[in-house]
Amino acid sequence: MIWLELGIMQRALIACVLTGFLTGLMGVFVVRMRLTAIGYSMSHGAFAGASLGVAISANPLVTAMLFASTTALFIGPIADKARLHADTITSIIFPLNMALAFIFLTLTPEIGLTSQVANVLWGSIISLTNTDMVYLVTLCAATMAIVHFAWKELFAIMFNRKQAEADGINAKPFIYLVIFLAGVVVTFSLKLVGGLLIYALLFNPAASALQLLEDMRKIIILSPLIGVTTNIVGLIVSLFLDLPVGSCIVLVSTVTFAILVLLSPKKRRKMENETLEVNH
Amino acid sequence: MISSKIAIKLEGVSTVYEGERRPAIRDINLTVEKNELVYVLGPNASGKTTLLETINGLLPIFHGKISVFGLDITTQGRRARCEIGYVPQDFMVEPGEPYTAFDVVMMGRYSKIGVLNKPDKRDHEQVAETMKLLEIENLARRPMGKLSGGQQQKVMIARALAKEPKILLFDEPFSNLDPESRENIPLLINTFHKEKEMTTLIVTHDLQGMLENCGRVVVINNGRVMVNDTPDKALEQWRSLS
Ligand SMILES: Nc1ncnc2c1ncn2[C@@H]1O[C@H](COP(=O)(O)OP(=O)(O)O)[C@@H](O)[C@H]1O
Ligand SMILES: [Mg+2]
Repeated sequence: MIWLELGIMQRALIACVLTGFLTGLMGVFVVRMRLTAIGYSMSHGAFAGASLGVAISANPLVTAMLFASTTALFIGPIADKARLHADTITSIIFPLNMALAFIFLTLTPEIGLTSQVANVLWGSIISLTNTDMVYLVTLCAATMAIVHFAWKELFAIMFNRKQAEADGINAKPFIYLVIFLAGVVVTFSLKLVGGLLIYALLFNPAASALQLLEDMRKIIILSPLIGVTTNIVGLIVSLFLDLPVGSCIVLVSTVTFAILVLLSPKKRRKMENETLEVNH
Repeated sequence: MISSKIAIKLEGVSTVYEGERRPAIRDINLTVEKNELVYVLGPNASGKTTLLETINGLLPIFHGKISVFGLDITTQGRRARCEIGYVPQDFMVEPGEPYTAFDVVMMGRYSKIGVLNKPDKRDHEQVAETMKLLEIENLARRPMGKLSGGQQQKVMIARALAKEPKILLFDEPFSNLDPESRENIPLLINTFHKEKEMTTLIVTHDLQGMLENCGRVVVINNGRVMVNDTPDKALEQWRSLS
């Protein structure tokens, strides 16, 4: 167990709660709208961008944001037009962003794994500042407001994009809104878990919640809760074992997902329903 | 004004799917007047689904022009689609999808409710009432994916009717229904068409469930309109064709 200054601990805890909430929330839309390829590529774009920021001594948040949005802007239309399969996109973009990130990191003035480079790679709670807390709180409020007001359309598009369009909903702006928000959330979560693992925060809680429940209104609440819980547990584990916090969070959330798959109440309930119907 | 009597107008319309050379429908000229009920018949792969999805602008037009209540579908498609209830062919949802039947029917009303607004009491009543008419009110809280094909088909019909659109487009809406519903639901559509003055286009490849107050039958084959006439005359020609 390592003991850190109270301020650092407080900020770490707040960051865990807020990023867990945000990634858990946006993850549901990313997964259900089949945007995982874009989310995945964007996450690693943010990583490459943050690396560039460190290398040229610019604000890594700004460069990460630029890279994430550039990746999304390129991939969105290309995927639409060329009908590229999601696997193809991620297979091409992931190594590209990694290659860029590693080049940027070796360009950093003090070559090697300086603490700044390490932060970008797997996150660090020590680097969290009070300003980061302000950003995260603002982002949380904005995201919740947007989701609240756009819920109806997002819900219909998640169900079926084509049918939503047939009913007179303009799907594209809402999909771009989700991509944009996911990009911002990923960028502001980078400091906690680092660029190599950030995607897991977007994907794991949503996948876990979808495994467990069959009502979208409950899923959209449970997924952020899972995100918050796994983040806090991961933080505690990392403090006890003195391991990188990002890795511990991902391990905890992977174990959570695995347990839920094994328990698979969805499958069990399905069987119960079927026997009920047979008995009728 | 003469144009106000016209609900749907297609002028020389051809649709080519991306990556294909041959148009799936070609040179279609078709006018549907307000309040008409038109059947579209044709063998498999003749272009019936393509015709419907071209009319509501889900597929880009390669050639020609379509207007729906005077709205050009290529430039004002979204506005036009707010007035169209569309029941797609063979729409099936996987088990475990987290949406209830009630949710799905309510989605039909979203464009009426408008961006930033939430469904109100009247929307809930309308959805409940429509589900009752289709005898699926007891399924309202069930997940859509756990319903049978016929039940899901009724949910999609309810979604289109609950929207209270000016135009209804049905793509083989009776294909998965049980025999009893195959009789009842066409009658229900009949009532909606008459009482709520909805212009209705029904695609089918068989003649089961033919409605008595169908004004006109269009037969398409190989992407072209072969027959466009009163039911009696159209069926005569349809039989001699097949
Ligand atoms: N997405 C598609 N891409 C390419 N060709 C298609 C597509 N959908 C349908 N077609 C072709 O267009 C023609 C008409 O299809 P469709 O409108 O579905 O016929 P129907 O509904 O009458 O059975 C068929 O030859 C079919 O193979
Ligand atoms: Mg068809």
